[in-house]
Amino acid sequence: MSGESAESVITVGIHVIVKKQSFSKVYKVSENGTLMLGKNQKVEMHEIIGKPFWSTFEMVPKHGSKNTYSLKLVERTESWDDLKGELSGQDNRFITDDGTSQRLSKEEILQLQESGKSGKEIIGSLIENSTSFVAKTEYSQEKYIKKKERKYFKFLTIYRPTILSLHEVYFRQNHDKIGGLRMDSLAQILSYSDVQADGLHMLYDSGCQGLPAAAMLNRIGENTGGYLINFHPGNVPQIAIVQAMNFPQELKDRHIAVNIYSFLRLHYQGESSVLDNISSKKITDHIKETQNIEESAEKSNGETKNNEMSQMNIEISELETDTRENIVSCCNTEKGTDTLKRKLDESEEPEETIPAKKPKWFLETQRALDLLNNSKARGLTIIAKEHPLNIVNELLPFLGASRPFVIFHTYREPLQETYMELKQKRNVINVKLFSNFLRSYQVLPDRTHPDILTSDTGGYILTGYLVR
Amino acid sequence: MSFNKTKEVIEEGDVVILYLNPNNIYSLEVKAKTFNKKAELVDNVFQTTYGALKVISLVGQKYGSKIELTKGWAHVLQPTPELWTMILPHRTQIIYSPDISLITHLMELKPGSTIIETGTGSGSLSHSLIRVIRPNGHLYTFDFHEQRVSIANTEFDRHGLSDFVTLKKRDVCLDGFGEELKHKIDAVFLDLPHPWLVIKHATVVLKQIGGKLCFFSPCIEQVQRTCAKLICEGFIELNTYECLQREMNVQYRSLPILDFECLKYKHTNENITEKNERRERKQEGKLLTVIHAQSLPGHTGFITIATLPPSCHRCTQK
Repeated sequence: MSGESAESVITVGIHVIVKKQSFSKVYKVSENGTLMLGKNQKVEMHEIIGKPFWSTFEMVPKHGSKNTYSLKLVERTESWDDLKGELSGQDNRFITDDGTSQRLSKEEILQLQESGKSGKEIIGSLIENSTSFVAKTEYSQEKYIKKKERKYFKFLTIYRPTILSLHEVYFRQNHDKIGGLRMDSLAQILSYSDVQADGLHMLYDSGCQGLPAAAMLNRIGENTGGYLINFHPGNVPQIAIVQAMNFPQELKDRHIAVNIYSFLRLHYQGESSVLDNISSKKITDHIKETQNIEESAEKSNGETKNNEMSQMNIEISELETDTRENIVSCCNTEKGTDTLKRKLDESEEPEETIPAKKPKWFLETQRALDLLNNSKARGLTIIAKEHPLNIVNELLPFLGASRPFVIFHTYREPLQETYMELKQKRNVINVKLFSNFLRSYQVLPDRTHPDILTSDTGGYILTGYLVR
Repeated sequence: MSFNKTKEVIEEGDVVILYLNPNNIYSLEVKAKTFNKKAELVDNVFQTTYGALKVISLVGQKYGSKIELTKGWAHVLQPTPELWTMILPHRTQIIYSPDISLITHLMELKPGSTIIETGTGSGSLSHSLIRVIRPNGHLYTFDFHEQRVSIANTEFDRHGLSDFVTLKKRDVCLDGFGEELKHKIDAVFLDLPHPWLVIKHATVVLKQIGGKLCFFSPCIEQVQRTCAKLICEGFIELNTYECLQREMNVQYRSLPILDFECLKYKHTNENITEKNERRERKQEGKLLTVIHAQSLPGHTGFITIATLPPSCHRCTQK
């Protein structure tokens, strides 16, 4: 692994994981950045710059501004183990909840917090003033401290982002945002897709913040020969998590993100068709708008948010031409309409001159197609919000024979249908549909049991192999 | 040589997967002659339920193609670690793909990782691990069983994976991993009866900048003992998981829909029977659904992951 010493220092521009006990957050390091913790805690982060990963900082309240903290590098977090009392009870038969066990009032506790006392000191006073603490069992005391710790612990540690930690952040905060993709499902997708350091790996992903792409790129690895061709339905792919991985440029260059519509049109109709479509678009737009109001509105709503503005104009038009064409080809199978459309296009051509420069997305699409024409893909992964059937049908021809495909979906029904269609109409074998059950455990001496809460949103996975 | 790169055409010496149906998958080494039970060199002919296959005839066939057999057909595939895990010859209990996936993910492996696995067992996990760490990483795998080591060695060689793996016969509980691996390892995986005896040795080989330790144990007592030891040695962020994969059988089912409307009015006898029959035929709904297996592996093993912080942040107890 190269350059470990240089990379182990936190620098401006990279992403880091900020962890406060079991809570963690992604943060992009900037010169004078702040990080919001919870609802209202504002942390000034500039202190972390230049420090090594794994550094721990104490949150020091700033005078004058409430709920604002600056950071101070510390050797290590304070140990709270000695808070446990020397005395403890056998069981809870003498503990009654009458609301009077804590002698400190709410105001007094708030005062303690504002006076700048450390978390440990505050909990110390809470315990001192608790009439029931000594009567609690040893386990119960531990639990009490853990609970208070969550509130009063004021230490942050900075880690290097990994797929595991980024997944944890996103899954905990909002698992919908990553398509309900649970850790075990993600892990299995990476196995069944056979993603590895070399070969072309195809991915269709429509809304997981770039998690699958990041995880696959991580498995393709730095300074290797593998490529990831990342199909997406929108204007630009979601790549928040890819960016958070701080991949080197040479690896990012092997991540080829292409709009699936542009890709397929280029494949079936050739370069001129795609480029003509861009140029003629601007004018035909107005004429044909009525044809596709519904669908394009739906599309752009779903896909343009969070995207960069720069590329959008060209690509929106690209997308709309796609939708229009879909409508044309779906609704009108008769030749008459086709010629009508062509006539329309032709009549406008003289007004529009050929574009001087091919846009970047076009070159990327061309590059993806060239790679796939050169050699078939080693694996196909589909993580779709849409119905996966048409997607897999279109992408299977680019997959090599004897190579695996894997499709993830939040719902079971579309995968059932895809399963049947593939089995009946395509040359696929070893097709399997499954879901997973994941359970985590509390492991403590004499107190080991499954965790009370477990995720029940693992989604469904369909796998198989393409044959000739 | 069929594990290390994608191939189009089958060559002599390849290991191929012969797929007849989901329950009949085999691996074959493509060569003309093989040894029979009496250790005599004979023609390499593989008997399937659909007829015999002269294995050497596969040379020149494309991977993924359909092979005609006398009473049917089969497909030949290039092996992936997942296919291999399904059909490999068991010399021990093996770890299956769902657990392998989770283990690999939790250990945060990627190309370039240098890792340890012990014991080697039947090499099920090893094949997956090698896939992840290639081309510039390395797997050191240990087993105390002489024969297992030598068979696994032959297998890695035959699969073209020798460059990425070093096998050693060694009882790591007693002897550790050896001085030459000190501070060189990114992640250690343990699958042996007494994982807690190896923790001390593992801390020695893990890099100064820290690393991961993962162990697989079927029994919760092993987990408890090992976790206690891990905490003593300064490991943090211990998590224990269990993952069960539930396969579902997709099927069309027809459900009769009963019609009670006809009971509410008076009809002539003939009419009723006629109508009922027609209705029943019409209202037989075709439903695409899944059937769950009657039984499934309800437990394989507990997977525990732990992190060893960089040496300057370690905090050992006692």
